[in-house]
Amino acid sequence: MPWTQATRAGATVHIWNGYSLAERDRRWNTVREQAASVGFDSILVPLGNGVDGRYMTQLRCSALALPSDGGAPIVIADRSSHNEWVPEPWQTGREWAEPMGEALLDLGMARARIGVVGLKGGMVTHCSSIDGVVNHTALVEVMSKLPNARFEDATDIVGLARYVKSEEEIAFVRQSARVASSGLEELIKLARPGADAGVLYAGVLSRMLELRSEYFPLSLTIDALGTEKPQRYSNPPLGRRLEANALIANEINAIRGAQLTQVCQPILLGKIPDAWKPVIELHKEVYEAGLAMIKPNTTFGALADFVNGYGAKRGMKTVIHLHGCGYGDDGPLFSPRSRGDKVRDLQIEKGNAFVWKPIAMTADEKILFSWGGPVLVTDRGCEAFLKREHGMVSIT
Amino acid sequence: MDASTNIKWEGYSVAERDWRWRRVRENAVKAGFDCIFVPLCVDGRNLHLSLEQARGTRSDCRFLTQLDNAAVILPTDGREPIIISDQENGNDWVPEFRPVEESWGKSMAQALIDAGMERARIGVSGLRRGFYTHGRAFHGVVNHNSYVEVLRRLPNATFENATEAIGYARYVKSEEQINCLRRGAAIAAAGIDKMVELAHPGMDEGVLYARVMQRMVELGSEYYPLAFYSGLHGDGRLPRFEDPTEGRTLQPMYRIANEVDAVFGGLIAQEQQPIFLGPIPDAWQPAIELQHDLYYAGLEHLTPGRSFAEFMDMINSFGEKRGLKSQLLMHGRGYGDDGPLFTPQNRGERNRDVAIEKGCVFIVKPIAHSADGTFNTSWGGCVVCTDKGGEPLVKRTPGMVSIT
Repeated sequence: MPWTQATRAGATVHIWNGYSLAERDRRWNTVREQAASVGFDSILVPLGNGVDGRYMTQLRCSALALPSDGGAPIVIADRSSHNEWVPEPWQTGREWAEPMGEALLDLGMARARIGVVGLKGGMVTHCSSIDGVVNHTALVEVMSKLPNARFEDATDIVGLARYVKSEEEIAFVRQSARVASSGLEELIKLARPGADAGVLYAGVLSRMLELRSEYFPLSLTIDALGTEKPQRYSNPPLGRRLEANALIANEINAIRGAQLTQVCQPILLGKIPDAWKPVIELHKEVYEAGLAMIKPNTTFGALADFVNGYGAKRGMKTVIHLHGCGYGDDGPLFSPRSRGDKVRDLQIEKGNAFVWKPIAMTADEKILFSWGGPVLVTDRGCEAFLKREHGMVSIT
Repeated sequence: MDASTNIKWEGYSVAERDWRWRRVRENAVKAGFDCIFVPLCVDGRNLHLSLEQARGTRSDCRFLTQLDNAAVILPTDGREPIIISDQENGNDWVPEFRPVEESWGKSMAQALIDAGMERARIGVSGLRRGFYTHGRAFHGVVNHNSYVEVLRRLPNATFENATEAIGYARYVKSEEQINCLRRGAAIAAAGIDKMVELAHPGMDEGVLYARVMQRMVELGSEYYPLAFYSGLHGDGRLPRFEDPTEGRTLQPMYRIANEVDAVFGGLIAQEQQPIFLGPIPDAWQPAIELQHDLYYAGLEHLTPGRSFAEFMDMINSFGEKRGLKSQLLMHGRGYGDDGPLFTPQNRGERNRDVAIEKGCVFIVKPIAHSADGTFNTSWGGCVVCTDKGGEPLVKRTPGMVSIT
């Protein structure tokens, strides 16, 4: 092993790392098989791609080179960190390019075809990072150490492994959904006219931390009903009290077992106006009709076309809004800003977990309603993890 | 302290924006750049070497635009910058920006071309670590794919590392920034008060963690993870946690160490307070007293114009006259990954020639060791450098809190 351990290291940061060795082997073998099937000699998860690094190692910060021929990977970590999955990673201090390059050379990849994970946004991971997540200077240094190797994007190799959840992962998706739902219940409990919006924000976060969620920003959109561009907060609102007739839209995220899920349910501090009721009713229909379509072998193109066309018969609009649950930035991503054109042919599979929250709106788009949470694709169809009654919460 | 609902702060002024842009332009002109380019940087969830570094990865764009994610092209000749962002809305500083079209690489390259930089000397911030910023990110923070696309589309331009051009502008704080750091330090101190209130044997550490975070967030801090260490003395280095722990309960005679950070106005303040769940052993007192005196000696010596070589030598040799060992532990405060960085690991050797300046803000938390090396302690907080020396942003007293 040419790389020597850093002599000085900061304190080891302990993070959750409770998946089994069988889960590790499942992930590594799936990635190896996918890599071999498209002709990569090795997969490189480089500096910058921390999310895939965690998926493959359960370490807080790592890089990994995984040969596709079944050989053991070389993992690089810092701060003396190690775990059951990776008992003896190569340790580094703040220098990453040198050991990444050495790892590839050590594995005999000097003239290999190397798949770099996170180089670009993928079909089902790194979906909002269209230019990927890889650190430039480190990768260029690695490439300069292996001038005869070929480096190509392999984001989907790990992405498609992440796309299908194991039973162990599903158990944590379920837990995560419960914690997010508890956060929503706390929000409903605290939201009252006159409440300090910052205290409300802190209370919801604290509730989820108490239930041992890792942190992920909570998003609240708060303004009087009918406000054209309501104020969105992903930090505690300053100088703001909730007022009567305020609409609180929300995205409440929780992480258990590294699985990020989300629930959302609008809350109105007042009586729901009659004009909203047909939109909410339409939403309920499209949510349930979409849910019935989310099953193995349905393509996302078919689902998107169905949902996006659903509202027209009522003289209203409906839009698909969906993304994956998982280690973060999971897809496929369908939102008003992301039409998901490159995943139209991708099929839904058993073991997929999504956040399903379609949007219904009036034709003039002045009234807009979204509600939803995590769903799991099973043999029989789809199981929704958000157990609350559909609709807008009215607090009067 | 004010509850968040009573906070009247409405963001940095446009004068502050102009002050920052002017300082960056001046630094860039001195270095002979035609423009400063802040490219797309990797997000902090993915490039996460440490809490500080993760927060620092997109810090230059936040410093220049107050947008969470943006690329900036700031010509040195005084023209307005071109800003590209994927955010939903602009702000008072940047009401309008260019959206990302197809890819960041293409959009950034087009903006450089539109700014007349096809044959220019372009200073790129964040390509490598700097003295003042990105010190923990040896390989910088720049996104590969988009940056390579920019290089490809501007083959006749010269691109060079310019991390210091923005770094040095960030090094000295304006009054507006100092006021935000002062509020942040006060919030962090309130977080410590909450920890001291709740820390006792039998307390669930995860609940303690949640309550401290709740206290700081309800006072208006952005969420910045508390770093929490706990365990028996003598069992080796205390484990560090940055999320609420599971299945851990405080025990009698536990040591608690922490880094309690609060973020206000985008700037990270930090306060630190060691706690012991029992009577403090006599054998620890000399080191605790040394740390107390070391901290105040540090404040006296934190004067403008002094080099860090002189300052660190003073701190590192301070314990010798008492037969003890002392070490400098400090770094800059600001938008994240602020320097210069002095730790027992890096010893700060590369920063020896950096000068202390009026308006700098640091977290100062030197370490004192017992004579036999079996105990060490660090206490500290945010300090602004004034003509008269270091002035703590919030008044607290060095020492170890004993909870019996």
